[in-house]
Amino acid sequence: MNVRDVMSAQVFTVSPRDTAQSVARLMAEAGVGALPVEAPGAGVVLGIVTDRDIVSSITAEGLASTMTVAEFMTVSAETCTEDEDLADVARRMSALDMRRLVVLDGNRKVIGLVTFSDILRAKPEIGEQLPPLFHKTGGRNTRIPPS
Amino acid sequence: MINLALDRLWEEAVVLERGRQVLRVQSTRDAAICLKNHWPLEEGPAKLKAVSACESVIDGTASPDTARAAFIEAAKEADFQINSWTGD
Repeated sequence: MNVRDVMSAQVFTVSPRDTAQSVARLMAEAGVGALPVEAPGAGVVLGIVTDRDIVSSITAEGLASTMTVAEFMTVSAETCTEDEDLADVARRMSALDMRRLVVLDGNRKVIGLVTFSDILRAKPEIGEQLPPLFHKTGGRNTRIPPS
Repeated sequence: MINLALDRLWEEAVVLERGRQVLRVQSTRDAAICLKNHWPLEEGPAKLKAVSACESVIDGTASPDTARAAFIEAAKEADFQINSWTGD
């Protein structure tokens, strides 16, 4: 079983210049809780932004909803491909302490997201071979300074 | 139906204020979502034009400036206070 069997197919991405409120609007419209962040034009994955990031990094901190994604996203260029084996991807997630990875196709285009939960639902035995992950959405948030 | 897979960024953001609502919009896709889901007016000629302009820009048949200008006109129609550095 590989990534394409369990991933959420999702082709929309956001830019690091988008704001918390614009990302929240897109999440609500699309019915998703996480979005890949891509460098506009370049098509390079910079990380992931989640609804939890918005709640914990913006709302809970009392920051303005006009903060840009670059200021609160989870920075990680780590990705996987749709044909990778689930156990391999789960091991990578565990080593990276990440619960989500962006899925790319053969042309390096974003085609979806896969979560550790997606993998465990399909193959629960994989979880028994790995150390427990922290209960958080995407590893420790790494803020990068606004340009 | 908004094509969420594509977006066209604007050079400058448009910030709209109306009562407690503050919308900061800097892309065509976000403008289309605002017009569809977060707009105080159900319908209006300027809103209709703005929706159409956003669709054309997302489809690649018009420049992002077109959507931005139409969005500002729709905001005027909806009685938003408009804060924009380059708009009228």
